[in-house]
Amino acid sequence: MAASSRRRVAFVGAAAACLLIGAAGYNWAQNQLDFSFHAFQDSRGVTVLSPDANFSKDFTDRTAVKIRFGVDAISAASDSCARCHPDGANNGRVVSGVNVTRKYGDARLTLGGEFSRELFYTATTALASVSRDLNKSNTTVAGGFAYSFNKPQLHPSETTESQHSFDAYGSVTQSWTRKTVTQFGYEINQINGYQTNPFLRTSVNGVMTVGNSPDARTRHALSARLRQALPADTFLDADYRWYHDTWAVDSNTLSLGLSHHFGTSVVGGGAYRRYTQTAAYFYEPFYTGSPEYYTGDFRLFPFDSNSLTGRLELTPKGGLMGMPAGSALTLQYERYKSTTGFEAGIFTGGVRIPLK
Amino acid sequence: MSWKTRVALALTLSAAGLSATGCATVQPWQRGLLADSCMVFDANNTAAYMTHWQEAREGSMGGFGVQGGGCGCK
Repeated sequence: MAASSRRRVAFVGAAAACLLIGAAGYNWAQNQLDFSFHAFQDSRGVTVLSPDANFSKDFTDRTAVKIRFGVDAISAASDSCARCHPDGANNGRVVSGVNVTRKYGDARLTLGGEFSRELFYTATTALASVSRDLNKSNTTVAGGFAYSFNKPQLHPSETTESQHSFDAYGSVTQSWTRKTVTQFGYEINQINGYQTNPFLRTSVNGVMTVGNSPDARTRHALSARLRQALPADTFLDADYRWYHDTWAVDSNTLSLGLSHHFGTSVVGGGAYRRYTQTAAYFYEPFYTGSPEYYTGDFRLFPFDSNSLTGRLELTPKGGLMGMPAGSALTLQYERYKSTTGFEAGIFTGGVRIPLK
Repeated sequence: MSWKTRVALALTLSAAGLSATGCATVQPWQRGLLADSCMVFDANNTAAYMTHWQEAREGSMGGFGVQGGGCGCK
């Protein structure tokens, strides 16, 4: 990783640590700080280091604010970068967001925004969501809407394009018994504007060429989720998602996990995730003639993937390393492998601190 | 909207509608296990990061809440 990326990560880590120390000494009514660090490395030689901080603060009994700040420090030696940068290339992404939630009886309204900036891409998002508890809080109905204005730059040129994304979501969460809860959701997303990856190329009549994708895409996702308490302090989680879009990408995602309480301070668990998808209708391994659309984007190829995750959460009774009681340390490792030959390992370490 | 989308949407809405009828009632004093972090959807921030990088590698997205603008890696 280049020195600039290391400096960026060190700066963000130091800033987050100062923020953490300062916040710990502040007497808030009902607040929480989550600080996490993610390290991603894959078989292409890409490394991403991502410190991330989330603050939640209740200003009153009815109004809460959540602030998020995160960084992705990316050291990339992938094929698309190595074509022009034999020694690899570095990038950095900074994302910040604010959500305000206000309660109205059994209903909650959240308004917020997020801004993400990196080399060659910016994204600005506004979102609104509502939820309402029904049936003695055994049923929660939720819905949301988000609009994003994204601006990719067609590096190495200075040309920028525009992309508009509209996203709507609805869900019902139901507690069936004292041991069983489910959630069903539907999400629709409409993206208009430039949607070609400017860095990924494919063979068109033998010449490696940047792709050309349609400028409209409608995406549907349906989800069903289960959380089930089992005997002996063990919990089952099962999530399924069905996805379809107008580029003919269909996918199924199933994840199954088990968690177990080892005493009062330790929770351990593992999960397996299986993902399958079909190719976009205009995908070909290579193109001849004069195709209208063509792509070298691996996300539009047909493939399957499997991943395994192990997770450990420690919540010492007396607090964690001098932090207040209720503080928790989370360690997680995920191994991901797809039929395209892509493999990745992702480590996450996180600290959650309740602030008085 | 294709027939597959319609069928899947109908099934999900039916399941969601059945949930919303409130045919099961757990009393507040019976909710101890339901409050355990293992029983809460999206209880930790780690899930958000996992979703972020999975969506950077895969052609599908969504299903569990509204999306942000994403990143250039998508």
